[in-house]
Amino acid sequence: MTAPEAPASDSMLLLRGVSKTFGGLTAVDGLDLDIKRGQIFSIIGPNGAGKTTVFNLITGIYRPSSGDMDFDGSSIIGLTPDRVLRRGITRTFQNIRLFNNMTVLENVLVGQHVHYPGNLPAVMLHLPNYRAAERRAHERALDLLGFFGPSLVARQDEYASNLSYADRRRLEIARALGSNPKLMLLDEPTAGMNDAETAEAVRYIQRLRAEFGLTILLIEHKLQVTMGISDRIAVLDYGKKIAEGLPAEIQRNEQVIEAYLGRKATV
Amino acid sequence: MSTSVPALSKGLRSGIGDARRRLDAALNDTQIAGRPPRYYLTGWRFGVLALAVAALLPVTRNGALLATAVSVGIYVLLALGLNIVVGYAGLLDLGYVAFFVIGNYTVATFTGGIMLASDRVTVLHIPVVTFWLLLPLAALLAGVFGVLLGAPTLRLRGDYLAIVTLGFGEIMPIVFQNIPWFFGQLGMSALRPNDVATPLGQISFNQSDPLNNMWFYYLTLALVVVVILAVSSLRDSSLGRAWVAIREDETAAAASGVNLVRTKLLAFGLGAVTGGIGGALNAAYLQAIAPTDFSFAISITVLVMIVLGGIGSIPGVILGALLLRYFDVSLLGQINDAVHRSPLVAPGGSPLHFLASFDFNTSKLLIYGLILLTMILLRPQGLVPNVRRQRELKGIGAAIEGTSAVGLLEREGAGMDEVAADTVGTAELAGSGSDAQGREG
Repeated sequence: MTAPEAPASDSMLLLRGVSKTFGGLTAVDGLDLDIKRGQIFSIIGPNGAGKTTVFNLITGIYRPSSGDMDFDGSSIIGLTPDRVLRRGITRTFQNIRLFNNMTVLENVLVGQHVHYPGNLPAVMLHLPNYRAAERRAHERALDLLGFFGPSLVARQDEYASNLSYADRRRLEIARALGSNPKLMLLDEPTAGMNDAETAEAVRYIQRLRAEFGLTILLIEHKLQVTMGISDRIAVLDYGKKIAEGLPAEIQRNEQVIEAYLGRKATV
Repeated sequence: MSTSVPALSKGLRSGIGDARRRLDAALNDTQIAGRPPRYYLTGWRFGVLALAVAALLPVTRNGALLATAVSVGIYVLLALGLNIVVGYAGLLDLGYVAFFVIGNYTVATFTGGIMLASDRVTVLHIPVVTFWLLLPLAALLAGVFGVLLGAPTLRLRGDYLAIVTLGFGEIMPIVFQNIPWFFGQLGMSALRPNDVATPLGQISFNQSDPLNNMWFYYLTLALVVVVILAVSSLRDSSLGRAWVAIREDETAAAASGVNLVRTKLLAFGLGAVTGGIGGALNAAYLQAIAPTDFSFAISITVLVMIVLGGIGSIPGVILGALLLRYFDVSLLGQINDAVHRSPLVAPGGSPLHFLASFDFNTSKLLIYGLILLTMILLRPQGLVPNVRRQRELKGIGAAIEGTSAVGLLEREGAGMDEVAADTVGTAELAGSGSDAQGREG
């Protein structure tokens, strides 16, 4: 079951030859990724390189046109997003997708949906097992909000749309933690943040790994963040992986430099 | 557990406290997350008052009033059910009459038939199948059909969902009309008494006997109360939150662990169940049904009740049902009479004299359409709104999503990269030159 040349036991997420085409357009082309347990692994690349598509493939929003995807030893191809979550992979979104007309607390409760009993009578009649799950979910929700300090806890009954931008990013992470995931996919978690907020985000990403035992896969544009936080970096350009290695190696890689300088968005 | 008086009275008080909280929760769509309720009319006190008034209605000994009340009760059940599909899950179902039909025919099949010459022709009379069995059976069958009819619509949005459900709503009565077993257009009348046997005697709907009216009315009222409690219980549960989540953002909901298929099918199924219950009551009450009784008009009536009263709001849809039934049964006729008697419509009295020949009673659907338009344009959240729905419809929450580029641009220190990352499309068009457009970043 394990390949002789690579110890697969500490591979958390393994992508082999994953491709995705939309009609005539190849968004991801033959991608190989091997993310080890406990790593903070970053995917970087110019705009349009296919990074979010990779996230969407992993989480079941798209199905790969070809290739294999294994999580913790078993294939995740064909799973719907909620089943992917139940396997232990959670994610945040580039554009922040919170439930705006739900409160902070309710958002985090939805994140724990998988912990509630599934059978209808329990839910409809609020049977004891349901009530116990609800109690536990409430406590855990407050714990998760508290991870970021007292401010989100204090605002638990606020509508999510009323929060500051930085708080909305934090809330999305708190929601994503609800299912007790093993792997967390963060899509540009510091987008739109100034330097101070970015530094704070870097700190809590590291704390996420330390305190929740998470493996983290990161899409990030700010190179100083990526270089500082990552154990390993893969660089995508036009859907292909053009480089992979330690941060120091990537910084010196000529192809990477050309990809960024040659394609910088001139908005 | 001690059976001493203090312990019992403590138990009683906490039981009453629980009941009070349940009643509060059941009616309080106007409250959210620990804030004080905005419409005090819908607290537990109002619930107790309404229940007392409803319970005392038979004191009037007015058979016709009780008959109307039963009819209102049936529509309240339908409105509560459709509210689950449209109000909670946000799925526009225009074919709700299908479940009402199933409920009716479940009862009619086992208790009804037609008279041919002097022969009684029946469908399926099994003496042991009493109304107490038929009621849950109707609910169950309707629920099953709710799931069946909902299943093909799962990937559809908006207009297409509405059209497909509308189609199913049209098909159902026609199916019963064309299967000879159910006597087609002749419909069926009660050949076997629809008597509901209770320890206190038979409940049958016999308008000349006020006492019988009364028990059937209480049965309807009891079912309405049970359904209100059940629906509010669902609303405040993990399933209720899942429904709000899929209404807000399906992708985020799925990413948070909500099974979209199951959650939507549960909405269709559970919503259909009350349609079945209402249908069963209806057949027992009318004692005679025909396929022509059931049409899109019923689907749209229930929808207007919901929109008028308040989408997603339990007190709202109840109010909507009450208002519209009162309008239909009583007010419309009065308007008709008033207009026809007024000097405005006398020949030469005013430009409005053409109204003299206009029969308002047949313009029911026209008026419903006007009500629907008016509400959607002026007050889409309804008369007694659900707080969350009110926010959604006023676009407060919606303004934030999808404009993160704007949010970013307004922030100090937002670099061009960050803006580009969030507005992938625009960045591609701006920066890629001759490269392929529309690629994902």
